[in-house]
Amino acid sequence: MNETPSKPAMSPVKVEAIDPLDSAVLDMPRQAPRFNVLSAIQNDQPHAPAIHPSVAHGKGIVEIKDFSLYYGPKKTVHSVSLSIPVGHVTALIGPSGCGKSTLLRSVNRLNDLVDGVRTTGDILVGGESVYAPGTDVIDLRRRVGMVFQKSNPFPMSIFDNVVYGLRIHGERRRSVLEEVCERSLRGAALWDEVKDRLQSSAMGLSGGQQQRLCIARAIAVEPQVLLMDEPCSALDPIATLKIEELILEISQKYTVLIVTHNMGQASRVSDYTAFMYLGRLVEYGPTSHIFQTPTLPETEQYITGKFG
Amino acid sequence: MDDSSTSLSDDGSRRSRRRRLLTFADGALLWGARSSGVLVLLMLASLVVVLAAAAWPSFRAFGPGFLTSSEWRPNELERPMRNEAGQLVIEDGETVMEVVPPEFGALPVVYGTLVSSVLALVFAVPLSLGAAVFLVRVAPKWRIAGPLSFLVEFLAAIPSLAYGVWGLFVLAPLLQDRVEPLLRSVLGPVPGLGWLFRETVEVGGQVVTRDIPLTGRDMLCGSLILAIMIVPIITAISRDVLKAVPRVQIEGSIAMGATWWQSTWSMLRYSRSGLAGAIMLGLARAAGETMAVTMVIGNNNRISPSPFAPAQTMASLLANEFAEASSTLHRSALLQVALILLVMSLFINILARWLVGGSQAHAAAAH
Repeated sequence: MNETPSKPAMSPVKVEAIDPLDSAVLDMPRQAPRFNVLSAIQNDQPHAPAIHPSVAHGKGIVEIKDFSLYYGPKKTVHSVSLSIPVGHVTALIGPSGCGKSTLLRSVNRLNDLVDGVRTTGDILVGGESVYAPGTDVIDLRRRVGMVFQKSNPFPMSIFDNVVYGLRIHGERRRSVLEEVCERSLRGAALWDEVKDRLQSSAMGLSGGQQQRLCIARAIAVEPQVLLMDEPCSALDPIATLKIEELILEISQKYTVLIVTHNMGQASRVSDYTAFMYLGRLVEYGPTSHIFQTPTLPETEQYITGKFG
Repeated sequence: MDDSSTSLSDDGSRRSRRRRLLTFADGALLWGARSSGVLVLLMLASLVVVLAAAAWPSFRAFGPGFLTSSEWRPNELERPMRNEAGQLVIEDGETVMEVVPPEFGALPVVYGTLVSSVLALVFAVPLSLGAAVFLVRVAPKWRIAGPLSFLVEFLAAIPSLAYGVWGLFVLAPLLQDRVEPLLRSVLGPVPGLGWLFRETVEVGGQVVTRDIPLTGRDMLCGSLILAIMIVPIITAISRDVLKAVPRVQIEGSIAMGATWWQSTWSMLRYSRSGLAGAIMLGLARAAGETMAVTMVIGNNNRISPSPFAPAQTMASLLANEFAEASSTLHRSALLQVALILLVMSLFINILARWLVGGSQAHAAAAH
């Protein structure tokens, strides 16, 4: 995790408080606008994120509550509180290293696999605590699906991939598996392309098809929430467009939490957007609000590509 | 003007000399590399040719029957002649003797090699895969993956004589005094398992069934020693193959709600052809292993279905008899056994390389 912004273009209040390794900081233009929130974050001072009233109700399907995460001594997520509304697409945006992927992977506790990870605060999924002792992590991960940056079909047939989740949870009835396979592949807009070769290897599909297969695999177990970690970053524009259409489509039935680097993608597919910077939440609200009339000038500067 | 042109031409001639030197060095090194490569191939080819030529007399004498005959008798045999009815032929009140020429058949040693190697795999594969999974998935968390990997690789470097001595003085007595009597008392009375502990032999023209004497130096002991010797190589290669599984594959199955065991199974499945290659390399090592096996397998050229009976492998036969082979035919038959072993090992190795290489290409394609 790199805590340093890749291209910091904002004038710091105190130069000596900035990461001394980042020599670019010293070359910053003098006329750059002053960002109070961002400089507060850079100086590790408390700041108040701008939360739109429409998402401040605290009744989301995923409730992130004062959540912090440390990799060893390094704090990469700082006391983030977010309420993800049910049945909508929520995008997490922010420059590299802002902790958005880490936050996403905290929802299904995938960070457990990393050595030396420590958390404080809590996350609730469907009202149930994710980090309370005694949480059934296996059951949690069944309720929270995930699609990765790079497509990761298992080296088995298309059919076996889609029903993997059902199989590992003990479903054996062929009729059920077949029904779920068809429904999930239709749901992932892949059925027409693969219905005649369900038994052939999933490794033979194109990159975009593989990613849609992974979405089909994730929705086959009907999760409450679907996490997507930059699902299009390894795809060409046409495949990206298909995935984006698919995200809009599955948002009719599922709650989606998506991390993206692509501002246009966030504005196209999401209903709500959260802007993060250096592990902190900066602004959160409806996507139209964030992209058209953001509360903070910092958000507007990021959205319009002035830094990031 | 003049000055600069002289210095230029000076410079030019120095450069061309330098280039000639470099060209010569290039050519010499290239040819050196080429001939080294060819030499290695020639060594393999000459090995096969020399072995084949030396084995020729035996092949001419026994033909393909060499592989199916289980008679291995390096000396002439003088015995009473019998007629077609099986009765002794007696002329003038004396039994007539006949002289049977030496006979060589490789079936018992081919059988011994195959069975001891496969038994060794049966013991070694679960242990090796378990150790490899431990090294890849558990040990890093406890920060002991490095030292443990080193120890595993160190096991592979122990001379086989050391294993053999340990087998002879520790393992064989243990089997003879404790393990095998216990197995006999437990499994012996089980119907259908009697063949494990009893054998049918012909003694002085009579067929008798008797208990196999438990010596501890038998097929079981040989297989166990082989298993211990091939665990390091299978573990080390399996570990590398499992390490090459992309992280996103493991995370993928865990994110689906797979348990530790289920995600491990996905990992094994992902790298199955590489693991098969690792097992094949273990098999190749087991088939060719000589010293330790010779010390503990009992060295008996007989096919017995019981793992508690002494046996012989191709390698142990060569180790036992080659120095004392006096007749040309005996020597030639031994060399034919060596040729069979060479061809078999070559075949297993090629298969293993192909499997391991294939899995790496497969993993690379998935990246």
